[in-house]
Amino acid sequence: MGLSTTGTRSFAAKKELKKTIAGYCFISPWLIGFLFFTMLPILTSAYYSMTSYDILDDPVFIGFGNFTSMMSDELFWKSIKVTFTYVFFSVPLRLAFALFVAVLLNQKARFLRFHQTLYYLPSILGGSIAVAVMWRRLFMADGAFNAILEIFGLNRGISWIGREDTALMTLVVLAVWQFGSSMLIFLAGLKQIPQSYYEAARIDGARRDQMFFKITIPYLSSVIFFNLIMQLIAGFTVFTQAFVVSGGSGDPLNSTLVYALYLYQRAFKYYQMGYASAMAWVLVLIIGTFTIVLFKSQGKWVFYESKGGK
Amino acid sequence: MKKALLLSVLLIAVVFTSWATGAQDGGGDGTTELRIAWWGNPTRDERTLAVIDMYQEVNPDVIIEPETVGWGGYWDRINTQVAAGSLPDVMQHDYAYLLQFASRKQVADMTPFVDSGIINLDGVDETYLSGGRVDGKLYGISLGTNAVAMVYDPGMLKAAGVAEPTLDWTMDDFAAAARQVFASTGVQTVPFFTTDPKVGFENWIRQTGYPMFDPSGKSIGFKNISELEAFFALQVQLIAEGVMIPAEESFVTLSPQEGFLAQGGSWVDFIWSNQFVSTQDAVDRPLKMTLVPAIANGDRPGTYLKPSMFFSIPEVSEEKEEAAKFVDFFLNDPDANMVLLGERGVPITPEVREIVKANVPGAMQQIFDFISLVGNGYASPIDPPDPAASGEFLKMFRDVTMETLMGIVTPAEGAAKVESQGNSILSR
Repeated sequence: MGLSTTGTRSFAAKKELKKTIAGYCFISPWLIGFLFFTMLPILTSAYYSMTSYDILDDPVFIGFGNFTSMMSDELFWKSIKVTFTYVFFSVPLRLAFALFVAVLLNQKARFLRFHQTLYYLPSILGGSIAVAVMWRRLFMADGAFNAILEIFGLNRGISWIGREDTALMTLVVLAVWQFGSSMLIFLAGLKQIPQSYYEAARIDGARRDQMFFKITIPYLSSVIFFNLIMQLIAGFTVFTQAFVVSGGSGDPLNSTLVYALYLYQRAFKYYQMGYASAMAWVLVLIIGTFTIVLFKSQGKWVFYESKGGK
Repeated sequence: MKKALLLSVLLIAVVFTSWATGAQDGGGDGTTELRIAWWGNPTRDERTLAVIDMYQEVNPDVIIEPETVGWGGYWDRINTQVAAGSLPDVMQHDYAYLLQFASRKQVADMTPFVDSGIINLDGVDETYLSGGRVDGKLYGISLGTNAVAMVYDPGMLKAAGVAEPTLDWTMDDFAAAARQVFASTGVQTVPFFTTDPKVGFENWIRQTGYPMFDPSGKSIGFKNISELEAFFALQVQLIAEGVMIPAEESFVTLSPQEGFLAQGGSWVDFIWSNQFVSTQDAVDRPLKMTLVPAIANGDRPGTYLKPSMFFSIPEVSEEKEEAAKFVDFFLNDPDANMVLLGERGVPITPEVREIVKANVPGAMQQIFDFISLVGNGYASPIDPPDPAASGEFLKMFRDVTMETLMGIVTPAEGAAKVESQGNSILSR
């Protein structure tokens, strides 16, 4: 008897193994792609970050040289400052705006699909050249924005896109305008909140703002958390918008030189692949820190129904 | 389960064999395969592809595989190919990078092909070839010649009652004209070379006999920093008077169609001569081109003839002789050049230049005339190619120019900044 049970067991194990192999075979196209086109470049970039590498010559190992020279690189700190400013303004504003529109659309709006598509459109247009041209036309000295100000007698002929102190804000406005994907996620989250809570609150005589802050926000906190993390990562790695609006230069006076754009310039304009790789790893560190801190903090403010509200 | 396993193995087999077969094609049956790479635009691509077809018709045993992308993507791709050891057989090259490629022996010396007559350069003036030489060896053959130019709208000048620029125009004459145009018509003036102000100052400082960069490539090449201060001061003064367009507006990157000259906001612009056709296309008024104004205390012309681009033969090519034959066809064949029509710049061989000039539209003929003019006593010899760190230097130069023109720093402070930051970038 003992023998026969181990026989069945090993037969079962064999079958299990076969299944596993088949499984890996099926996902192998993805797996190979991941290993060779994602994992390998990540590992090589870790190596290159320790080298001086201009592609034409072989990489020269310089230890932490790239990281130390980064510390005294004015433009590196400038790009950090620009990126943090961008994230600080664009992420909360975009989330607030997305939530605002989602709440509006959740009020049994007519033509809901139509509105959803309409508000999602800017996100699809993304960093296209058409958007870049439009943004310049909007915010140049003789642009549409000044024409609107003119109506209220406020036009001072400012070139919003050409001034050091206003150019980044035009990018923030662009980011807020592209609120569609966060909005859709918020909308889905709002639909999950049981209507009975609102009914109960209404019977108890709760005001609208009370319902929003006591029911909607707590129930939505996990969705807010998700959106916050996604938008934070997107904010720190922003590239396309800054690239197309400033023509790849970070103009004016590097006031739109976001981190990823500076990294790109180092890599593909100056061919300093080692320095650029090192910058990429610093960015990983920054984003990693923010994500970890957020995850640690979620116990304090994120509400999961499945955990019984804990 | 067995079926699933078999199916997945088959699937992988298919994927791998398709990779493998995709990787090895061509060759073997007496034909030669040549890969030819260039950066371009739709017009250039169309014309170059037509010439490639013509060449394959005459040489049925040669199969040419073209590789073309835009400027930015081109160098990303070429550098990847350098790392992989898979450069094409003929590659378009730029003056800025040729030295780096030559000194690392990535491109081959073409002198043997010229000596053996495969590439015919009879009658080509040395001034057109010297840009492609490093230590006496010919690493690139110029496909066309370029020079900096000032374009202007003669109609606007006439409306303002200002005489058209002459060949001996100085910066003072230029400033006076700008002021008068502004006073009588309200039309402003753009600053010098806003996309790359270094080009404007290079023309200025070369007139004093100094290069922009030291021949070692490790420092700036000029000692007279006051000239840089004067270069900034002239523009700061004109901006203060309202004559010149403020940097906040004029340094925004724009397409030629959006530009100030096209929109009627400026009577003048500064360009490389081969951009004249696209500039004229963007402006619906007739334009003219002439020399960039000279400084009052100059010793020599600051303008120089620059090879707009080269053809080079990479060292890794196994078909160098066939590649050289194609280069010769590209340079000398009259029919091929009737298709190319000097799109890459004014051709270097005299016969081809004459044939093409007779057959191009008016704007192109102005370029030909301008290059001939510059070549006849209005140019000084070209400096060695920019050092490897020049990319960073150019960005810094443009940033400081903007800071100065915006009034954040004075011209003297701006000039000192370029000197200290420039030397620190170049010496690294």
